[in-house]
Amino acid sequence: MTRAWAPLLAMLSVASGAAIPSPSYAADSVEVHIGAVLASNSGQEFDPRLVAIHRQLRTLFPYSSYRLVKEDQKVVAAGGKLGFEIPGGRYLLVMPKALKNERVSMRVMLIQGTRPVVDTVITLRNRATLLVGGPRHKEGVLIISIGAVGTTTAAATADEPLNVAPQ
Amino acid sequence: MTCRDVSGLLPLFFDGELEARQMRAVALHSSRCAECEGELRQIERVQDIVAATLSARVDELDLSQVWPAVKRRIGTIRVPWTQRLRLWSEERDVTRWIGIPALSAAAATAAVVFVLSSGSVTSVTEAPQIAEASPIDNTAIIDSLDSSAENVAVLNEPETNTTVLWVNDDSDYGGEGFPP
Repeated sequence: MTRAWAPLLAMLSVASGAAIPSPSYAADSVEVHIGAVLASNSGQEFDPRLVAIHRQLRTLFPYSSYRLVKEDQKVVAAGGKLGFEIPGGRYLLVMPKALKNERVSMRVMLIQGTRPVVDTVITLRNRATLLVGGPRHKEGVLIISIGAVGTTTAAATADEPLNVAPQ
Repeated sequence: MTCRDVSGLLPLFFDGELEARQMRAVALHSSRCAECEGELRQIERVQDIVAATLSARVDELDLSQVWPAVKRRIGTIRVPWTQRLRLWSEERDVTRWIGIPALSAAAATAAVVFVLSSGSVTSVTEAPQIAEASPIDNTAIIDSLDSSAENVAVLNEPETNTTVLWVNDDSDYGGEGFPP
């Protein structure tokens, strides 16, 4: 029975893959989430909200205290730009450029006063996070996490539309 | 770059609309020209006032029922099986499976049928977590990097697959490198 079904299922598997057309993309949107962490050697505090990046912080940096001082998230279409106020009079500009092959390319600018402290174009895996650290703040330094979650929206006219049941 | 040039670019500079070269030129000029610096401060003040006013108005809005309503609405969306299959294949890069032995393909098909029938594939993206970085590869490909800081270090740390840009933006570091 199993042997008889195997070729059929294999054909079905391949056929279903071949029959699925590439979706036509209407829009790529990117949700950017940032966190500004004050890292210092004054105290032993570890902000519980940072548990998701606990390993990175402990592995990469020598500080004894980590406190989340700012977090924010915003969504923008690829090609747009987002601005985030960062403690210490800094400003973070994130401009997602494209979402392709599960990777998000974006330009990131950290501006302090009138100086672009960092101006970089990077490509990250979707849902990955970049860390930008070093700017002095209060008794320590800031470590800014910049995460990007890209979403590709299939065109409503592609293949089959979403059926929304009446309320 | 003259004050006249800069004056026309200041709003764009403040909004981050300029190219990097122009951005640097305006920043450099403003840091040396009190008049342009003052104009920039004025733009900042205006934006602060606008932002404060808007924030106050937004705070007055009652948005408490928005998300529950959205959740109810999401619950009513039925996604066709073809679309679910496509989403599933995109998430898992099914195309690379083509060419594997028939028995494995059959098992894969059975898994697809099981997953679809169990309804575990949805079209709703999970709410993002700030810097939920541990389980995935956070290594960044840096296409370009520029900085006005004294030095910038790039670290690709293999243990956590994380890329860090470390900026030494003042002389207090004394060349301690990454991280101080």
